[in-house]
Amino acid sequence: MSEFANIPWNLILPILVLQLILMAVALTDLIRRKQTNGPFIMWIFIILLGNLIGSIIYFIFGRRHE
Amino acid sequence: MKGLSVLLQKEWRENARNFKLYWIPIVFVIFGIIEPVTNHFLPEIMKSVGNLPEGSEFTWPQFRGEDIFVSLMGQYQLIGILIIVLAFMGSISGERKSGTATLLYVRPMSFGSYFLSKWIVVNGIILGSVWLGFFAAWYYINILFNPVAAGDVFAFLATYSLWIIFAVTVVLSFSAWMPTGGTAGLSILVLIVLQVIDSVIGAFWTVSPWKVATYASMMFSSITNQSGFWMSIGLTFVLIVVLILFGINMAKRNAAKTTV
Amino acid sequence: MTQLLLVNNLTKVYGNHKVADSISFELEQGTITALIGPNGAGKTTTLSMLAGLVTPSDGSILFQNQPKADIRASIGFLPQYPKFFPWLTALEFTEMAARLSGIEAKKALEDAKKTLEFVGLGNAMKKRTGTFSGGMKQRLGLAQAIVHKPKLLLLDEPVSALDPVGRRQVMNLLKELQQETTILYSTHILNDAEEMTDQLLFLRKGALVENGSLDSVREKYANPRILIEFESDEEVDRFITMSPWAFSREKRLLVIDAEKEKVRISDALTLLTTENFLIRKLELQTASLEEIFMKVVMEE
Repeated sequence: MSEFANIPWNLILPILVLQLILMAVALTDLIRRKQTNGPFIMWIFIILLGNLIGSIIYFIFGRRHE
Repeated sequence: MKGLSVLLQKEWRENARNFKLYWIPIVFVIFGIIEPVTNHFLPEIMKSVGNLPEGSEFTWPQFRGEDIFVSLMGQYQLIGILIIVLAFMGSISGERKSGTATLLYVRPMSFGSYFLSKWIVVNGIILGSVWLGFFAAWYYINILFNPVAAGDVFAFLATYSLWIIFAVTVVLSFSAWMPTGGTAGLSILVLIVLQVIDSVIGAFWTVSPWKVATYASMMFSSITNQSGFWMSIGLTFVLIVVLILFGINMAKRNAAKTTV
Repeated sequence: MTQLLLVNNLTKVYGNHKVADSISFELEQGTITALIGPNGAGKTTTLSMLAGLVTPSDGSILFQNQPKADIRASIGFLPQYPKFFPWLTALEFTEMAARLSGIEAKKALEDAKKTLEFVGLGNAMKKRTGTFSGGMKQRLGLAQAIVHKPKLLLLDEPVSALDPVGRRQVMNLLKELQQETTILYSTHILNDAEEMTDQLLFLRKGALVENGSLDSVREKYANPRILIEFESDEEVDRFITMSPWAFSREKRLLVIDAEKEKVRISDALTLLTTENFLIRKLELQTASLEEIFMKVVMEE
C-alpha cells in the first residue's frame, strides 16, 4: 500500500476532473434529449459506471440520429 | 462560394449544440494524459500488484519522451480515427435521410460551400482535439520523462495533421456519396484496415498516405527516406483535393435522394 | 397577365416507371393553382422538379422566359413534412433560409422576425424547432418558404396534415399571400382547392389529364341531374306512366339525367304543376367536386 501512496495524485487529478466534465456533458445531453436509442435508465448507468468509454459510447450510439 | 459563411455558422452551431465541440477534445486530451502517466507508472504498479516470483528481475524498456508521442499517436490511429468515423459519418448522408437537407438544397447555395462548410468545421474540431491531446501529453512528458525539442514536436504534429485531414476528408466525401452505414464501413476499411495492411506488407513501397503517420513519427529521429516522405505528403495532398472535389460532386448528384 | 412559368413535356422516369409523364402547363403571374391528384399521382415529383431538387428526365421549365436559369432564388418551397434542424431556433432557421437565398445579414434577421410574426410564431421565435408541434412546423415551413419574397411559391400538401383549426389558419395565410406572389400547391382534397384556385391541374398516374379554371372544369363535368321526390309511391307510379324522360328510381325519388334527356328544370316543373303532382322536392343537382375528382383522376 505504501507504493500506492507514492503515486502523485496531482498528476492524475486532471484526468479525473476531465472524466467528470465529460460525464456531466453526457448526462446533460441525455436529460435534455427526448429520444434515445434504447432506454433512458440504461444510458444513465452506462454513463455513470462506464467511465470514459461509457460516455464516449453514449455520445456515439446513444443519441438518436436527428 | 455562395452561402459559405452562413453554412459555416450553421455547422458551428450544430457541433456546439450537440456537444461534439466539447466531448471530442476532452476525450483526446484524456488519452493524451493517460498515455504518459500509465507508461511512467506501469513498472511500479506492476511491481506492487504483479506478484512476481521472489528474486526475478523484470526489466521494463526505458521509454524516452519521444516514444510516448509515438505511442499516443498509435492510440489516436485506432481510437481517434474511430471517433472521427463514428461521430461524422452521417454529416451529409444523415441530413439527406432525415430530410433536413431538403430545405437547404432548394436554396441557391453552392454545393461547394455546403461540403466545405462541413469540411472546415470538422477539421477544426478534430485538429484542435489532436493538437490539444498532444500538448497535454507534452506537458506530462516534460514532467515524467525528458524534455522534447519543440521543433521536433511541431514537425511531428504538422505531418500527422495532414493524415488527420485526409481521414476527415475520406469520411465526409464518403458520406456525400453513400448512406451512413456504407460510409462507416468503407471509411473503416480505408482508414483502419488499409492502414494495418500498409504497415504489414508496406515494406515493398515507400509512398502512400498510410505512411504519413509513420513518417511523422520519424520526426523525432531522422527520416530515412526523404523522397518517399515528400512524395507521400504530395500524394496525400492530391488525394485530399480529389476527395473534396468528389465529395462536392456527390453531394450535388445525391441531392435528389433527400427525403421530401 | 404575364406568364411566370412555362412547363413543357416535363417527364421523370425511375427505372421503367414514369412518375411524371409529359406534363405541360403554364402559370400566370399572381395566380393560384392547385395540383390535384390521388396519392402517387406524381404531385410531389412534379413540385420537386420545379424546386430544382429532382432533375427531369425530359422536358423544360421556363421561368420568366429564361431557360436554364438557377430559379432556386425565385422559389419558395414547402415540403409536405418539412424537416428542420432540431437544434436551431425558429428565428435562426428562418434567418439562415433568408441569407441562403441571398438576403444580406441585417435584413435577413428583420425579415425573418416579420415573417415569423406573420405566420403566428412570434412567441416561439427563440424556441428550438425540436420542440415544435406539427402545426408549428407547418407554419415555420411556410415562413421559410416566403421569407425571401419568392416570385413562385411551391407548396406540397400544405394543409392535409393539419387539424381543422390549423387548416383554416394556414388557408387564411395563403389567401393573404396570394396578393403578393404566384402559388402552386398540391392537394388531394378538392374542397381545399375549391376555396382558393384560379387554375386546376389534375394529375393521374403521372400525366396531366385535365387543366382549367374551377368554373370551366365544373361546367365540363357538371353532369346535371333533376331530382324529384314524391309524397307517395302512388304519385311516383302515376308520374312514371306520363314521363317523357328516362329516369332512375330509388323509392320515392326519381333522378333524370338532364343532359342526356335534354330536359330543363322548368320543363319538369311545368309537367309536375299541370298534372298536380304531390312532391316534396324538386332540385337540379350538379356534380360535387368530389365526384368530379373521382371521375377525372380515378377513372379506368
